[in-house]
Amino acid sequence: MTEMSHIDRVMAALTNEPGDRLPVYPIACGVNRRFVNGGISYRDWAHDPKLYAQAFIEGQKVFDYDFAIGLMDLSVMAGDLGAHVRMDEQNTPFVDQHIVNSVEDYEKFEVPDITKGRSAVLLEGTKLYCDALKNQVITSGFIEGPLLALSQSAGAERLFMDMFTNPSAVHRALKVMTDYDIEMVKGFAKTGCAGLCWDYLWGNYSCLGDAEYEEFEGCKKYAIGLNELTIKEGMAVAIHNCADLPHLDTQIKKFAPAIYSMAYYPLIPGSPSASSVIEGGYTDKTLVGGQVDPQLFIRAPAEKVTQVVKDLCQEVKTALCKRGLNSPKYCIASGCEVPPDTHTKTENIKAFVDAGKQYGKMNA
Amino acid sequence: MSKEEILNKLSEAVVAGKPNLAEEGAKEALAQKVDPLEAINAGLVKGMSIVGDKYAARQVYLPQVLMSAKTMYSGLDLLLPAIPKAAMADVKRCATAVVEGDVHDIGKNIVKTMLTAGGFVVIDMGKDVPIQKIVDDAKSEKLDALALSTLMTPTMDGMKAALDGLIESGYRKNVKVCIGGAPTSPEFAKEIGADHRDANAQECVAWLKEVF
Repeated sequence: MTEMSHIDRVMAALTNEPGDRLPVYPIACGVNRRFVNGGISYRDWAHDPKLYAQAFIEGQKVFDYDFAIGLMDLSVMAGDLGAHVRMDEQNTPFVDQHIVNSVEDYEKFEVPDITKGRSAVLLEGTKLYCDALKNQVITSGFIEGPLLALSQSAGAERLFMDMFTNPSAVHRALKVMTDYDIEMVKGFAKTGCAGLCWDYLWGNYSCLGDAEYEEFEGCKKYAIGLNELTIKEGMAVAIHNCADLPHLDTQIKKFAPAIYSMAYYPLIPGSPSASSVIEGGYTDKTLVGGQVDPQLFIRAPAEKVTQVVKDLCQEVKTALCKRGLNSPKYCIASGCEVPPDTHTKTENIKAFVDAGKQYGKMNA
Repeated sequence: MSKEEILNKLSEAVVAGKPNLAEEGAKEALAQKVDPLEAINAGLVKGMSIVGDKYAARQVYLPQVLMSAKTMYSGLDLLLPAIPKAAMADVKRCATAVVEGDVHDIGKNIVKTMLTAGGFVVIDMGKDVPIQKIVDDAKSEKLDALALSTLMTPTMDGMKAALDGLIESGYRKNVKVCIGGAPTSPEFAKEIGADHRDANAQECVAWLKEVF
């Protein structure tokens, strides 16, 4: 098969049509800032929409990815809700002071003005890189699901205990998170992104069972409603969940996203490998992406990255063939974001993409 | 209330995640002159072990485990001060810490709970702990074991810095060091000179018990 464009390749995978090779996308987001003006700090990148967008544009030039997905960090919403976010120069920002110190505090959340704060930076930056890249690759925004946004604001441990002892207070706060997400979905719809990637991290059997996840996120009033709104606003639904034991039946079979991004933890019993995901039918209707260990981008030589990607391509193609799928329904990706810190070897990102292109060919 | 009933009450309080019942049970144990160490081991710890097993079997999940842990500590707060110091002399001292730059501490807190339930004296250094503090406290607290955790890639190097610091301070030979957290691996543990990488809290406790 002749070489397809990035967009045609991904569209083939999304529509169950044959493609020339497996799509390739190391989840390289913050690391791309190193190509802006000779390298900028995370703080600058996460506060300036032009710099934010420029990183994705430069990363595309250097590495030639199949997607552009705009993950900034997981403290954008919590920060705009009032939590204190620690901004190190070169580390991923994180919440270091939560804002729920009593059950009453769940009542105090209000949807912030999304035209201000880092929500606005995220939306404006997304529009800029989508405008620049929409004719080259499938573009997507990135957004925190309501339970993740609340856990980032309240602290996960506190939230989990309050789910058990004060569920009604948690639900009241989740309603606000969902309303905030609704505003953001409408904002993302105006950016021109083709898809919107939801981080539904807590759908994870290490943390929540089916009943708890259904009650606190996986139901119509939260995730299902937000997924429906995403589609109604003209975007495809993507989901990222880098936890060890994801709720695949809920998040893939029930939510039916166009794309699902996941990790693999070989040392954790039950963590689903790429082939088991394909064999389980999860790629029949959804383009699944994964599952290379992000550690390799820092700690491995480029040759090791090449070998790991080569092995994954072979595993995936064999499993797709056994499943009777001739569409490239698996994206060679990292299980989680490429570490954005300065120790990440950019030559390993190149090795990853190059190996995916070489060994991911469907007829090879 | 008989001793048996008190011990059952403590165990059941932990399983149900009811801190007020654990406090009641602990007060009754003290009032009835039940050996506080027995009240802990045959009551609170027994309950936490049941919860740990249920968590491993995915019969309960993190919200229930965290409430059970909180309940166990409610009872421990009352019972631990009643234990004669001599009875604690041979108990191994272990610290838990999430290394500097990382605030993800649920896993560390589960390890802390299971170590406590496993009979260790646990000093919890907390999250985002400066490396020098880890090194200094290991020596000043006369630790037998140190359990380090991180969930983030950029902060993994802090684990190596802590181990290097322990060597420099001359205390490394006195303390077993285990590491945990999703991005860590046995290979990484070996690379930085840690003694073990734990896949979960139960494995951490089992390994330390084997070592000691």
